[in-house]
Amino acid sequence: MRTGHFKESYGELVALTDSSVTRAWVGLLVVALLLLPLVAGNYGLSLATAAMITVVGAVGLNLLTGMTGLISVGQSGFLAIGAYTNALLLADYKWPLLASLPASGIVAGVLSLLVGVPSLRLKGLYLAITTLAFAFIVNHVILYAEGLTHGPNGVFLPNASLLGIDVSRDRPLYFLVLAVTILVVLAVLNIKRTRIGRAFLAIRDHDIAARVMGVDLVRYKLLAFVISSFLVGIAGALLSLQIRFVNVDVFGLILSIEALAVIILGGLGSTAGAILGAVFLSMLPELIRIAFSTFGSTQSVTYTTYVYEIRGIAYGVVIVVFLRFKPDGLIGLWRDVRRYWTNWPLAY
Amino acid sequence: MDFLLLLISAGLVSGAAYGMIAMGFALIYKATGVVNFAQGELVMLTAYVAFSIAGAVDLGFWSLLAVTVPIAMAIGLTLERIFIRPMLGEPAFAIVMVTIGLAVILRGVTIMIWGPDPLDFAAGLSREVITLGPIPFYPAQLYAIGCLAILVGLAYGFLRYTRVGIAMRAVAANETAALLMGVSVKRIHAVAWSLSSAIAAVAGILFAANFKLGPDMWFQGLRSFPALILGGLDSLIGAAIGGLIIGVVETLAQGYLGQGLREIAGFVVIVVILMVRPYGLFGARDIERV
Repeated sequence: MRTGHFKESYGELVALTDSSVTRAWVGLLVVALLLLPLVAGNYGLSLATAAMITVVGAVGLNLLTGMTGLISVGQSGFLAIGAYTNALLLADYKWPLLASLPASGIVAGVLSLLVGVPSLRLKGLYLAITTLAFAFIVNHVILYAEGLTHGPNGVFLPNASLLGIDVSRDRPLYFLVLAVTILVVLAVLNIKRTRIGRAFLAIRDHDIAARVMGVDLVRYKLLAFVISSFLVGIAGALLSLQIRFVNVDVFGLILSIEALAVIILGGLGSTAGAILGAVFLSMLPELIRIAFSTFGSTQSVTYTTYVYEIRGIAYGVVIVVFLRFKPDGLIGLWRDVRRYWTNWPLAY
Repeated sequence: MDFLLLLISAGLVSGAAYGMIAMGFALIYKATGVVNFAQGELVMLTAYVAFSIAGAVDLGFWSLLAVTVPIAMAIGLTLERIFIRPMLGEPAFAIVMVTIGLAVILRGVTIMIWGPDPLDFAAGLSREVITLGPIPFYPAQLYAIGCLAILVGLAYGFLRYTRVGIAMRAVAANETAALLMGVSVKRIHAVAWSLSSAIAAVAGILFAANFKLGPDMWFQGLRSFPALILGGLDSLIGAAIGGLIIGVVETLAQGYLGQGLREIAGFVVIVVILMVRPYGLFGARDIERV
């Protein structure tokens, strides 16, 4: 009879989860997400879509910053590249969505080698500043290469359809984004349990030691950049499908900071954390709006006048408070709560 | 030839602004080992404070500076106490992220207090054109270059001859050893923040007088990164020189290579420097050994 918690094979050791409870809850979550369009209106559905797009981007950034330890403040650049590739391929070159969606990821992934190569020599702060510079350069190239990108005019997306279904409407788009999100999350969780994922973690913890253990730094750092930017590019493409009009102003630096806020809030390095953080921060503006509207009309006026500032302050406060009091993020909070109740009443 | 001189002089003026902002960055980096991403926001906030002071009392440039700088130092001390001090001992990444959070908060608060529209701010300087040789200057432009020179002189003297300045260099060289020698590292960090805010105030007032006082001024902080990297992250004088060089490079790129290159010329320089000489012109070389 099996007693206690032990593993008998290597496969069990690296399995995604060995708990049937976790499996059941995840299954329940997926079913709930599939049924959401039956109960939610268009507004709720578009909020959920936006949250899932953020999840895709956050999971991608987390792979780079959380897992591999390469801090990037320039992922808004790759988001812009993904969104623009998708929009231009659909609008100007009449590609089908089935081809343009992966193409946006691939273009972002290939261009990420431009930042990836300098990153081989740089660490920490220097890398952050280089990626920041990259994001600026991307925005300016988009603005000034008018022949290709329509420059400051932006790009309107035509009605795109996938397998004969028009995804410009809310419900089909929701299902498309849901499918991509599930694929991306599964892919990243699986990368984490392969040699590649372990190499990423080793590089994060100590890159020289990792090299001594036989991890090819050049290859794996570039791989982290490419995979992460591929995912962020896909997120950008999905974003372009949702907002329908792509313009440089959408991809300001604030996006990169929001993205970092998401993974810090969720808990650096944890995929589940990135998902939690993305969902929480996408809902934050909504929470603030509701909070302001319950306080009467004068506050609502203040809110509508300074909507960006108030959102910015909220993000800033979230970053500062979590780093100060809960560096492990929401996922750490969840672990603490779970441990507390497991040991209850013998809390230590 | 006149066009070239004009570009160079315009470059030196914007470069002086970059240089002053970058000096603020470098001072905090030197003392605490953290790049303060909120430096641009400090510049903006102190410039707005100066604007309000100038609106309340009619002051000349130097007296305005004399009133604003102590207020800026107090702001710097307060921010350090509330946001940075509790993070002492945490990894640098966490502290840098806190400054990013602080930056977003300061930006929002500033816009909510002073409104989103650009303001006209002369900072007590006249607007009569002065001609030096073939090149016309506004007084504010000459003041910017002059103040950069004064700040460089003060920084050199402070770090070389004063007790606090020497302690700061000791902390920069080896924090633990400095602590064991009886240097209060906390106090040095606080001093660095307040002095950096003072530099930010000078930079902010002169930038606002030269260009404009608007809610997008924080962006100058990021625009000054090339200067900081070129000079070497931890060198104040390097940052000033880097600022002048980047300013000239930017205007030359705009004048001879094309519109729109001005904004990214500096960032292209960053990428090149980081590839070739990551410690900049004057920075300390970080050698990593196993």
